Amino acid sequence: MTHKTGTDINEISINTDVLVIGGGLTGVKSACEIASSGYKVILAEKSPELGLKNFEDQDIQDLIKKTASDSNIDVFTNTNIVSSAGVSGDYSVWLLKKDEIFEKKVGSIVIATDSSIKVLDKEYGLSLSDKVLSQSQIESILASDKEKIKGKSIAVIAGFAQEGNPIVTQRVLNSVLAMENISGSTVFVYMNNIKVASSGLERLCKEGRDKGAIFFKLTDTPEIIESDEKIKITFIDPVLRKKLEVEHDLIVIEEQITLDPINKNLANLLRIDLGPQDFLQKENVHMLPVRTNREGIFVAGSSRKVCNLTNAWVDVDNVVLELKNFLADGTKKIPGDKAVIDAEKCTICLTCYRCCPHGAIYWEGDKAVISPIACQGCGICASECPMNAIQLGGYNDSFISDEIKAKTESKTAKPNIIAFCCENSAYEAGLMAESFKMEMPEGLNIIKVPCAGKIDLDFIMSSFAQGADGVLVMTCHNGNCKSEKGNIFAGWRVAEAQRKLEVIGLDKERLAFVTLASNMGKDFCRVVNEMEERIKKSG
Amino acid sequence: MNIELKKKVMVVGGGIAGLTAAWELSRMNIDVHIVEKTCFLGGHAIKLCCKATEECQQCGACSVEKMMKNVVNESGINIHLSTEIENINRNGNFKVSLNKGPEYIDSRLCTNCGACFEKCPEHGAIIQGFSKNNTPLYGIMEEKISLIKDFCKDICPEGAISLDKKGSSENLDVDAVIIATGFQPFDPEIEGTYGYNKFDNVISGMDLEESLRQNGCALKPSDGEKPEKVAFIQCVGSRDERLGNLWCSQVCCPYALRMAEVIKNKNPETEIFMFYMDIQNTGNSFPVFYEKCKSDMEFIRNIPIDIIPVENNRVKIRYLNDNDGSPLIEEFDLVVLSIGITPGEDSNKLSKIFDIALDEDGFISNGNKFNNSSTSSRGIFLAGTAGGPKNIADSMANAGQAVCEALNYLGGEEPIQ
Ligand SMILES: Cc1cc2nc3c(=O)[nH]c(=O)nc-3n(C[C@H](O)[C@H](O)[C@H](O)COP(=O)(O)OP(=O)(O)OC[C@H]3O[C@@H](n4cnc5c(N)ncnc54)[C@H](O)[C@@H]3O)c2cc1C
Ligand code: SF4
Ligand code: SF4
Repeated sequence: MTHKTGTDINEISINTDVLVIGGGLTGVKSACEIASSGYKVILAEKSPELGLKNFEDQDIQDLIKKTASDSNIDVFTNTNIVSSAGVSGDYSVWLLKKDEIFEKKVGSIVIATDSSIKVLDKEYGLSLSDKVLSQSQIESILASDKEKIKGKSIAVIAGFAQEGNPIVTQRVLNSVLAMENISGSTVFVYMNNIKVASSGLERLCKEGRDKGAIFFKLTDTPEIIESDEKIKITFIDPVLRKKLEVEHDLIVIEEQITLDPINKNLANLLRIDLGPQDFLQKENVHMLPVRTNREGIFVAGSSRKVCNLTNAWVDVDNVVLELKNFLADGTKKIPGDKAVIDAEKCTICLTCYRCCPHGAIYWEGDKAVISPIACQGCGICASECPMNAIQLGGYNDSFISDEIKAKTESKTAKPNIIAFCCENSAYEAGLMAESFKMEMPEGLNIIKVPCAGKIDLDFIMSSFAQGADGVLVMTCHNGNCKSEKGNIFAGWRVAEAQRKLEVIGLDKERLAFVTLASNMGKDFCRVVNEMEERIKKSG
Repeated sequence: MNIELKKKVMVVGGGIAGLTAAWELSRMNIDVHIVEKTCFLGGHAIKLCCKATEECQQCGACSVEKMMKNVVNESGINIHLSTEIENINRNGNFKVSLNKGPEYIDSRLCTNCGACFEKCPEHGAIIQGFSKNNTPLYGIMEEKISLIKDFCKDICPEGAISLDKKGSSENLDVDAVIIATGFQPFDPEIEGTYGYNKFDNVISGMDLEESLRQNGCALKPSDGEKPEKVAFIQCVGSRDERLGNLWCSQVCCPYALRMAEVIKNKNPETEIFMFYMDIQNTGNSFPVFYEKCKSDMEFIRNIPIDIIPVENNRVKIRYLNDNDGSPLIEEFDLVVLSIGITPGEDSNKLSKIFDIALDEDGFISNGNKFNNSSTSSRGIFLAGTAGGPKNIADSMANAGQAVCEALNYLGGEEPIQ
């Protein structure tokens, strides 16, 4: 990475090659689209082949062929990623193929791991047999060997061993319909919540019913007993309101869509946050659709949610768009509002490296360096550094102290309330309250911060010292912080400050921690007025 | 970069899908024109409330606020409010004639002081936007102008209001079009037995969203008090063969469960009942969230027959018992009808103007099995709920896709820094 210093904006050139991890359909499509946007792609797939077996769509087969022959795509099969270093725009990754480990340098990484499938027979107390089939097995029978189920009574069961999702429903309904088209067979569908929240599924349900499939919507798992000849299902019918027993020749068991087990390892290797169920994206609206906590690392398809091809293609296009913005032509202009470490003061305690939510801090020799590209300007590190060695460009400590001083002095109205507001949430809510002419305390002073993570203990204490009667620390809701945990750090600091206030004999209720979203003008107004009330009461 | 080469794209509709598309296009150095038929940007999603309890519930409402801010501050995006498309002529690129409504409030003079709105003698003649990023924040309804002629003469201290303004027409040449004209919320009056607009305390999901956004809490319209017992009726107007609405609206389970949790969080004593057919997922952490909901409220798998008023503005819901099918009656302070998404009111008109196909439900149909943002016509792309039910996050992602496809179509623009 080369730095060129201009007046206040730095120009930096970055690597524009992209590593795509996972050669499933999402990975293949990503590689293809990224390559045709003019970037070189390295596609790493852990198995011997690209794509998905048995997927016979012609467009898809063409896509796989195109990827394999594209001169801008380097395909590595049987390859795993074993280690990584560096930051956005300048990543090093080490790949393992057979016994050989080699290094690749890229500017950006796209994760497109696949999902796999788990049969839930055990969860229903059954084992696969010629009477107990998995969803995948019935799909292959329907594709090649329809005769096998002619004239049979077939039970299909789903939604009791897992919560399920529209993708599961779609598979179930498609095979129900196909089975109904075979003469003489009757299909009984036993389902809990039918997940129809996807295009066309409600209609598919109706078609299934119209074709003669019988749906039992149950909330409790029915009793399933397997005998030599038959499968017997016993349940309370919600329409007839009585206990029913139905005998079937076959039962089809639902399958769960599970994640690639390498997700956890990848998260670790690439220092990205894991989301629920080990998806590679935290549930945070700021990340949507395809961002992670690290600039330049993106997720697509099954690596971030259960999805079908149509959903995955949406992700691929969004990844391409992100890459065009991020990599552009390889030169980036960096505004001067990023955090910088003063090497003289730094004692290499690693605090900043550990607390940076964006993995923006790396080591050059034995010096910690903040990458201006990866840095999101949240200021968490600047506030956490025990040596006070980090300053944030746009919001350095003296700037904020001056603000506090100016604000406490300029307004004579009492009580004087200082509200530190995150610019992404509470500050916007405050503006909203103003625009909508909501009544607010006269002595309210708002100080905007880039993230609640930049609200130092010092700022809070010095506000009181400068004569503030009350202080509010107003942040994003838990899980909505752009920097994931800026608000959590702020919460800790408020608790610490409250302890200090008690020690010096001040009412700790004069300091409050509040979470808000940008669209909560009314709540902003309520909170600041409540603070004014409280101060007035306690005199 | 050479100005001559700058491509132009028209985005029809200024809801979250249109805003996202406009923003992403402008980041790619494309000249963007948003054509919005109402006097406010933001569409339906700008009216929605934050559904956080202590935790953010990932409803996406705040993303809309953020995108509005991006768009109104971006000089490369031209915004045409109160404007509709008259017709379009395809000859290489698109020649569009726009029909602009009168700009009664001059946006250059208006300071958003709100005097006109606050003092307006005719309810609904002057309306207020939902976001501070709406400029002007107020709008005048054309059909009510005759009622406020005198009032408007000198109410505005800035002299920004002039009711004599006429509409105008304007022509645009654009290279591609993104259609993001959105949806229409189901009109709950159609479900006559629920008494929407007849009983004060029967409201729609949209009403509850607006009330939570504007008041910070759920209130009974009859007396402005907090309700103690609330029912949500799911699938109102969705998944209904009788109405021919054979689709799940996808957003009403998530919004109803999340708002119910907000009510519960602000007021733990509130009793909440959910009448439902099938509960749909809210996101990756749904299994955990659903367990919490199940412990906080009563789930009844039955769609009620009707609602009957009783004394004190309360209402009775009649439904069938889960266990034995016997008819049951339960009284509530407030009933929320979880209305869903139906095709945009201009679907047919747009289909003619742009020569694009509709699907069997009346949404604009996508032209490719794997691509949700394509239409049956080249150079015209689709974003958001105009193409079928979607939540905010999916509408935004779909808009990103439309932009990516439009860029491919335009032959690849050089990205800007
Ligand atoms: C009650 C309710 C609650 C919801 N809650 C949530 C929630 O909590 N979370 C969530 O993610 N989603 C929620 N949704 C869904 C959310 O509202 C939609 O996903 C979102 O609004 C879709 O945005 P859009 O841009 O596609 O459409 P719209 O919001 O409908 O915007 C379309 C825009 O196009 C304009 N337009 C229409 N026709 C024309 C024309 N001919 N010419 C010019 N302009 C035109 C309209 O005026 C409008 O501004 C909810 C929906 C409802 C009904
Ligand atoms: S508006 Fe929705 S997404 Fe935003 S903070 Fe509130 S709950 Fe979270
Ligand atoms: S989301 Fe829920 S309430 Fe809405 S239509 Fe689907 S099942 Fe019904």
